[in-house]
Amino acid sequence: MEANELMDKMTSGKMTRREFKKALAAVGLGLFAAPLASRRGLAATEDHPVIFTWEGYEDPGMHGSYLSKHGESPNFTFFGDEEEAFAKMRAGFTPDIVMPCSYKVAIWRDAGIIQPIDDSRLSNFGDTIESLKNVPDMVVDGKRYWVCMDWGQTSIIYREDMVDIEEESWGLMWDERYRGRLSMMDSLIDGVMVAAIYGGAKDPFNMTPEEVDRTKELLREQLPLLRYYSSSPTDIQNALASGEVVAAVGWNDAYSALKAEGIPVKFMEPKEGAMTWTCGISLMAEGDASKLDKAYDIIDALISPEAGAWEITEFGYGHANRKAFDLVDDATLADRGLTRNPEDRLNSGIFQEPIGNEPELQNMFEEVKTGA
Amino acid sequence: MAERAEVSAARLEAPRLGLVDRIRAAAMRHEPIRGYALLSPTMVWMLVALAVPLAILVTLSFWTQNYLDFDRTFSFNNYIVYFEKPIYLKLLIKSVKISGAVTLATVLLAYPAAYFIAFKVKKNKLMWLILITVPFWTSYLLRVFAWKVVLGFNGVINSGLITLGVIDAPLEFILYNPTAVVITLAHAWAAFAILPIYVSLEKIDRSLLEAAADLGEGPIMSFLRVTLPLSMPGIIASSLLVFIPTTGDYVTPNLVGGPTGIMIGNIVASLFGKANNWPLGAATAVMSMFFITLVVCAFLWFTKQVRERVA
Repeated sequence: MEANELMDKMTSGKMTRREFKKALAAVGLGLFAAPLASRRGLAATEDHPVIFTWEGYEDPGMHGSYLSKHGESPNFTFFGDEEEAFAKMRAGFTPDIVMPCSYKVAIWRDAGIIQPIDDSRLSNFGDTIESLKNVPDMVVDGKRYWVCMDWGQTSIIYREDMVDIEEESWGLMWDERYRGRLSMMDSLIDGVMVAAIYGGAKDPFNMTPEEVDRTKELLREQLPLLRYYSSSPTDIQNALASGEVVAAVGWNDAYSALKAEGIPVKFMEPKEGAMTWTCGISLMAEGDASKLDKAYDIIDALISPEAGAWEITEFGYGHANRKAFDLVDDATLADRGLTRNPEDRLNSGIFQEPIGNEPELQNMFEEVKTGA
Repeated sequence: MAERAEVSAARLEAPRLGLVDRIRAAAMRHEPIRGYALLSPTMVWMLVALAVPLAILVTLSFWTQNYLDFDRTFSFNNYIVYFEKPIYLKLLIKSVKISGAVTLATVLLAYPAAYFIAFKVKKNKLMWLILITVPFWTSYLLRVFAWKVVLGFNGVINSGLITLGVIDAPLEFILYNPTAVVITLAHAWAAFAILPIYVSLEKIDRSLLEAAADLGEGPIMSFLRVTLPLSMPGIIASSLLVFIPTTGDYVTPNLVGGPTGIMIGNIVASLFGKANNWPLGAATAVMSMFFITLVVCAFLWFTKQVRERVA
């Protein structure tokens, strides 16, 4: 029995008792045998670098060339947001590659977590979109600390059939009518900054004390309206699909996945402006030196046109490699809200930058979340 | 003279004994040495795994976070912040309330189960006890997730009630709030409550119950006046076993608590994580331990008063 068929049968309740028992027995046998079978597999993957990243990037579609060269995937481990990742790495976790977004790179470099990348060792680096090659602060004293991989937007994903709004605005996240049916991201940059933008902060990433107070007030108002703070795209994907949540702050990938499932969702263009971000790849300073060559192979795979085409099609993110767009047809691009000229999208919206007074804001947010 | 010569000869011979023999001789002579030697593996372990980390935690709580580094000068700053900002104490009180409810629910549900095994089961008692621990063979996290599935929007309870026609739309108040935390924790800690209560019920001398019956007490009164008081040690032990760890729990509130079910453990976790302020996190943890100790002492004092008054 195919796995999908099994799921369908189970959910539709068409499974007979005999079939169910058979499936259970198979699972039991599998669990029993798993430790015996995987021993060799585990030993082999120890030779591969560890990548600390966002959930979703572990798909072989993103590192096809690495897989064909080395025969196996590298190791992946995940964080929910960069503050969590930073705390873990400060506490002694040393992966080989980490995938921060641009606004974090300066702080991580100051903390000595990341080391320079020799971009001449990356065959695909030359095809990077020009403006993404030159994101500010990524090259210090002639040394590059970050390679851009992709870009996308943070906005509200909402159910068109369940939400009734006249104009698209971040205000939907404060709409009393949808009390208990909203979800915000548990993040400084994608959560707190939403409140800052909605509150009309002049520069949300460098707020004045009054603007911080206003943001805090807004977050407090919002708390009782939320179902929960989400920490992974799959959280909101499931909740939006079932209608448990009618509007959630999210990224392009959750939107694309829901759209592909045929659920009537829309990715908002708020009148205050959606947030645009760009994320990439850095080398850990204390990574395993013996795995450095393989680490470069992974970075090169991640920024290859093939990975880019896969990412555009599956996640709906824009990729950093200009050639990736040539591998995707017009209809697919239009469906993801992208064009052949990526700069159009990149230049619209509010570009996420390093957050000033970050510790203070984080404390404020943690305080708000406790509801006290 | 001859005796003295013998004694001095023995003294001269003594150093010739090997080190092992001398330790053995010392152990034979001193009872406490034998005791400590027997305890030493545990004591070393306790020292390394409990005392040292605790000392580090307390030290850390008197330092200050300097963005990326610690300022190691001694200061009460973290404790001042702890008492100045209302959130820490408020959250601690809320956590104590939630785990108080958990303790009450767990003990109330555990008592009948323990009573049944102790008094009604005649054969295969061991099998019954093992059956009670069966849920603990799966990971704690998995059981919390299972509750998420049971209580969820499209979960077992909601879809069941909809199929039966009891409700039209899924009930939303059963997940992502303090009630969900209480339900989940009460299930997760059930075995820790059942086992101590079972042991204390099992120890009760059955002839006391016969005597109560002979003296004309009904089943209810003999339960209240004989069984319940005699099983108090078990109830107290299980209350403490459930109350102390659940007050600091953060996984369960994180997964099923939603925006209103946050507990003190969550803020400690975020101070050591995202908020990156270990010293304040350490101070919060130390204060939590202090207040939980106070609550436990008050509880023990109260039960002692009650027992003395009853007896």
